[in-house]
Amino acid sequence: MSQLNLTVAAIEQVTPLVKHFTLMSADGSSLPAFSGGSHVVVAMNIDGRTHRNPYSLMGSPANTSAYHISVRLQEHSRGGSQFMHEQVKVGSALQVTYPVNLFSLAKRAHKHLLIAGGIGITPFMSQIEDLRRLGSNFELHYGYRSPEHAAFADSLKQRCGDLAHFYADSAGQRMNLQTLFSQQPLGTHVYVCGPNAMVVAVIETARALGWPENHIHSEQFTAPSAGQPFNLRLAASNMEIVVPADMSMLEAIEAAGVDAPYLCRGGACGRCELEVISADGSLAHHDHYLTEAEKASGKKILPCVSRANCSHVEVNI
Amino acid sequence: MERGYWIRSKPVYSTLTWNQQATAHLVVAEGVGGGLAVLKLFQQMLPEQPITVLYADHEQGNVDYSATLKKVVIEGLQLYSSDDKAIEAVKDYLPTARMGLRVYVAGSEKFIWAVADLCAQYGIENSEICKELTGTLARSVYCVHCKAITHDVHSNVAACDGCGRMLFVRDHFSRRLGAYMGLMVDAEAPGVLPEIEEIYP
Repeated sequence: MSQLNLTVAAIEQVTPLVKHFTLMSADGSSLPAFSGGSHVVVAMNIDGRTHRNPYSLMGSPANTSAYHISVRLQEHSRGGSQFMHEQVKVGSALQVTYPVNLFSLAKRAHKHLLIAGGIGITPFMSQIEDLRRLGSNFELHYGYRSPEHAAFADSLKQRCGDLAHFYADSAGQRMNLQTLFSQQPLGTHVYVCGPNAMVVAVIETARALGWPENHIHSEQFTAPSAGQPFNLRLAASNMEIVVPADMSMLEAIEAAGVDAPYLCRGGACGRCELEVISADGSLAHHDHYLTEAEKASGKKILPCVSRANCSHVEVNI
Repeated sequence: MERGYWIRSKPVYSTLTWNQQATAHLVVAEGVGGGLAVLKLFQQMLPEQPITVLYADHEQGNVDYSATLKKVVIEGLQLYSSDDKAIEAVKDYLPTARMGLRVYVAGSEKFIWAVADLCAQYGIENSEICKELTGTLARSVYCVHCKAITHDVHSNVAACDGCGRMLFVRDHFSRRLGAYMGLMVDAEAPGVLPEIEEIYP
């Protein structure tokens, strides 16, 4: 997969847990164009192992002189966010993929309702730029733990004015989704990015109120969870490998030198889907892509975030 | 027609079925067939949410379902003397409607797509509308030569209302126009026409 070699031009500590990185090409030339809601996958070499994490592009799609990403330091970091926070300095070189958009705006919507939780604000930063440029009707509802964790709230207040609504959990401010979704004009589309509980609440509330599926948009990047190690047979490559406890299936396949397809590495896009030929027990699906029926069938797996609860799995790659 | 032949753009209609996840229901229907479709819908259940039924009860002939509808539809029934008046009522209804509205349409293809076109102007995509084709298979035909639309076509070949060309009615359908494609059938051998048959009664 083609990669961009970028240099860190600036780092800003936005909140106690969030850093904002400005990435530019070494010669200052403009970067590939992207649309609001796009993300890139950043490759990090940590102790000889390559980690690849997806991050939303936050800058204006109208300005491709730099990419802007924000990284929240995760309490249970597998190393990626910790690496970005502690090892990456101004001048560091980073390899990133071309932008991909799995969270694009519905062009025919009459109104866009953006719901963000915590670091889930990042894809909306670029979407809002697109919406303002197009003069589209939108509203932002942004919830966070406490005012000190409200990344980019000041800049959003400035840019969105009355269109932005803020909810600090510490002050007991909560979004009332039921009320919010009951009073939207026809043709409204809702977009949500944030913690799993928030995404589920938005999707379920909208559905229950009769919002059609194609008006509900969500993005969630899941970090691959640790689990027990298991043996993995790569049938087409005729290889037998071990997936260690702290490595994802996809990372283990890549470490074995097999070129596996991927895009988002967060269980959202489905690009890395593999056919499961056999398993001596159950699979642990963590993605947001496969249907419940597909997960139950045990015939498919997204190796970027999912793994096995058993000792041996065979996939067709 | 060859076995297995189908055109992707040709609409497939279903029967009206309540979508219980909703905040309100708008049912629009015309004619005897549309009236029966609404009665069948109310046979299924009476939903909890507010209901509006806009019904054009024209050309009833021997059958008139409007009296039955008045008994079955306990609230929100409005009767109109023509399709156009019912469609005007949809136009008045939509601006104040909110997300969660479910739309159901039963009637001729011309009627269904006139309502779908109005809905599209308010951001309701046609996949979200429950549609039942009733009464007639008559087609609206878009002339690819002069761009005129000829309504109520019942035959495989029909004269264009705009330019008079004899048009072969194809299955290719435009959701935007609510019409099938029609193209000149005797362009290569003027005056040589296939047998003209009623196939859209």
